[in-house]
Amino acid sequence: MMKTAGLTLLILLVACSGFSRPEENKIFPYKIHQTTLENGLKVIAIPFDSPGIVAYYTIVRTGSRNEVEPGKSGFAHFFEHMMFRGTERYPKDKFNAMLKSIGADNNAYTSDDQTVYHTVASAAALETMMDIESDRFMNLKYTEEDFKTESGAILGEYNKSSSNPFQTIDEKMREIAFGEHTYRHTTIGFIKDIEDMPNQYQYSLTFFDRWYRPENCVVLVVGDVQPDNVFALAKKYYSAWKHGTYKLDVPQEPPQTAEKTGTIPWKAKTLPILTIAYHGPAFSDKDIEYAAMELLSQCVFSETSDLYHNLVVDKQLVEFVQGGNEDHRDPYLFSIFSRVKDPNNIALVRDAIYAALEDTKSNPVTAERLEGIKAHLKYQYAMSLNSPDPVANSLATYIELTGDPESVNRVYAMFDRVTPQDIMSVAKKYFTPQNRTVVTLQQQEVKQ
Amino acid sequence: MTIRNFTLLIISVLLAATLLPAKDAGMKFTEMPSAASPLITFRVIIRAGAINDPAGKEGLNALTAEMIAQGGTKELTYTQVVDKMYPWAAGINANSDQEVTTFIGNVHRDNLDAYYKLISSLLLQPRFDPADFQRIKDMQINYLKNTLRSTNDEALGKQTLNTMIYAGHPYGKTEAGTVQGITSITLEDVKAYYAKTYTQANIWIGIAGGYPATLVETMRKDFAALPAGQPNTVTLASPPQVSGMEVTVVEKPTRAYAVSMGYPVSVTRKDKDFYPLLVAGSYFGEHRSFNGVLMNRLRGDRGLNYGDYAYVEKFVGGLGQPPFPNLNTPLRQQFFSIWLRPMPPDRTLFGIRDALFELKNLVEKGLSKEDFEQTRKFVLNYSKLWAATASRRLGYKMDSEFYGSEYYIDRIDQELKTMTVEDVNAAIKKYLNPDNIKIAVVVDEGKGQAFLSSMISNAPSPITYQSPVGQSIIDQDKLIQTFPLTINKDKSVVVNAKDLFEK
Repeated sequence: MMKTAGLTLLILLVACSGFSRPEENKIFPYKIHQTTLENGLKVIAIPFDSPGIVAYYTIVRTGSRNEVEPGKSGFAHFFEHMMFRGTERYPKDKFNAMLKSIGADNNAYTSDDQTVYHTVASAAALETMMDIESDRFMNLKYTEEDFKTESGAILGEYNKSSSNPFQTIDEKMREIAFGEHTYRHTTIGFIKDIEDMPNQYQYSLTFFDRWYRPENCVVLVVGDVQPDNVFALAKKYYSAWKHGTYKLDVPQEPPQTAEKTGTIPWKAKTLPILTIAYHGPAFSDKDIEYAAMELLSQCVFSETSDLYHNLVVDKQLVEFVQGGNEDHRDPYLFSIFSRVKDPNNIALVRDAIYAALEDTKSNPVTAERLEGIKAHLKYQYAMSLNSPDPVANSLATYIELTGDPESVNRVYAMFDRVTPQDIMSVAKKYFTPQNRTVVTLQQQEVKQ
Repeated sequence: MTIRNFTLLIISVLLAATLLPAKDAGMKFTEMPSAASPLITFRVIIRAGAINDPAGKEGLNALTAEMIAQGGTKELTYTQVVDKMYPWAAGINANSDQEVTTFIGNVHRDNLDAYYKLISSLLLQPRFDPADFQRIKDMQINYLKNTLRSTNDEALGKQTLNTMIYAGHPYGKTEAGTVQGITSITLEDVKAYYAKTYTQANIWIGIAGGYPATLVETMRKDFAALPAGQPNTVTLASPPQVSGMEVTVVEKPTRAYAVSMGYPVSVTRKDKDFYPLLVAGSYFGEHRSFNGVLMNRLRGDRGLNYGDYAYVEKFVGGLGQPPFPNLNTPLRQQFFSIWLRPMPPDRTLFGIRDALFELKNLVEKGLSKEDFEQTRKFVLNYSKLWAATASRRLGYKMDSEFYGSEYYIDRIDQELKTMTVEDVNAAIKKYLNPDNIKIAVVVDEGKGQAFLSSMISNAPSPITYQSPVGQSIIDQDKLIQTFPLTINKDKSVVVNAKDLFEK
């Protein structure tokens, strides 16, 4: 029954594309036009029915994963900030004035694997965007004074979330779970490195030289555009960008051999937060393990799961419980979070989570349940594509992970192929005590 | 959300507000059909909010809404409802605000019939299960005790400011209520509030997207099962007047200090004067943008923090939310505010002075012709991005109807096209004021009294930099570090976060 619903969805969304079997269909309903310039820059254009509006994304396939040198954590993110400091041709004030004149919504974000610069603005301003974006990617220029001043904003960004226990949990979990890989530090970086950033001006020039290169970037334009026009403008504005040479060697994480634990005493008032993480598979649009883990997370941790019913709805031991395998280029963590109402019940909740994971190793999910999950994932994705910005943002994720926007279609086709046995296999492989790290955050002193 | 008043109670006498929302006879519908769209969005507004909470039961409106959005129907338990919606990736969220409560749902048209049946049952025949009640009540209390008081200093600063601005006024408590208020609520209270409030007179159904024309008639018929009821009108007095700089310092463990400041303004989207003020606000502090004066001076030139913004109406921003004006949080009485993101403790007083210095400049000098033209052009273009989806368009349309104004995006277009720089500068002079302003600061435990004393003493707050800065910044700093703070000592207090939102 759910299969029928999913098929209807695909029929509605995939305009004019004949298909006979679900696995041959594409979840992404719009035609992807792409070209690669001689310097290696990939340019992607996606016409979308949004009269007069375009989303313009530049995806740099560099994030905190690339911060391999000691003392340089947080640099990808810091550099994202520096990209707003202007060039000779368009100094900061002029750059801002141009964005203001076109009424742009303009910003950027950085994660473990990517740095994304995004603008939504009038389609009539496409050439202006090409001009100022290509200029800053090729010709960024800032003084040491600008650099030092911006370091204050980075510290401010750290500070703004410092009261949030999840920022500290993220720091602690990575530091314990990883010994070698750069996923050991958060994207914003170790606080000691953030505080040292004002002294790293020279390194920032090296960072730009290494990573802001055409072969490491993708330009993506979604909205009221003609692909040929996008490609012609890209050729005009980006062709002078020179190919780079730096080769990244990210240390690989050896298998974990014993369970690790950590505790965080918290000064401010909080309920206990239990975090359990297992090393999991990297993102893949080919390896069924990745897809099986995605579906497993829905089986065990969605609001329809037995665990959720048990802990949140029936016994009401926790405010929430959630778990999933965050997409990463290299193997990362399958993380489970739960805010426990009573500190005395932490062990009870932990054991209930372990039992739910154990259950997936021996009890196959029913066919009906599996179809429901697959339908959920498809509808969730399809319903998110409601304007140029989320369309571009969605594709940016797949572009940073593999360099290829078609990965989205391959991944959802793979979800369709996952069997109950695949889910049992990944559960047995990954959810073992020796592959586990547990971090518990608790208030130091309970005050009523 | 806003926070509950703690010690700062100012009794004002007061004129009843006259800007009540337009009220049609019977149920109200707002439709935005778009036959080609495969998606349908619902925004069902109940014209009641935290201002309708009975005394001693603060939080009842929000708790009732969550009992519907996170509860079951007469036929289905909460778990069964969630299970049914899950394959459609659909759900229903409640957003409880001061004046209205909005239920928001999106669904693909493949699943529309079954989805509508479920959400209409949730709204018309809520289950009001005792176990759901306990779960939701716990969550609401924990939100106040363990989240708002503790884990987000910026939200805490904003809530504190709201409480100060609306002390003794119906807006003066959080949308979630108070700890004692929620604690005292029983399931019978919820049932009674639902019976009184969820009526034909108060319900307002918005629908957009690719729905069949017959659906509206079906809804009209189904929702006629609600009692006719009476409009839940609450008379609003004017907020208390601001006298000098009134400061509330909130103590809690923290490494950086968040600041919010502001005061009431007497215009809303309904009024012509709102629009020049909107342009002034964008020029002075457009949210998350380097267009604003505050952002450029405090962050760009001095690296004081992550961001600095200003708003001419209520704004509830947060991680993952669009940077555009809020949907379905309309107020009959609005306020102007400045949000300074957390600063290092030794730079916070300078940052506060810097913001006030810039506000004074804005009021005294206004915008130049060039500033005005650039900002007008920006707002004209930028506002077109706010309504990129059917759900957002519907939200703005319903808000415009609340205010009794034209569709917001069109109204901006009309007003700005004929606006002059003189209009903007006159509005700034009329509505903005650097001398009488309420200031909320969240500081580390044990540091509150010293911080307040440093404000009252008016001692200079010099700033140093890690690298040389331009002479113009140095010259300006000399003025900023001694910028006079006219603190009203009698209306300034230090409080501990654990005492907020209690009753």
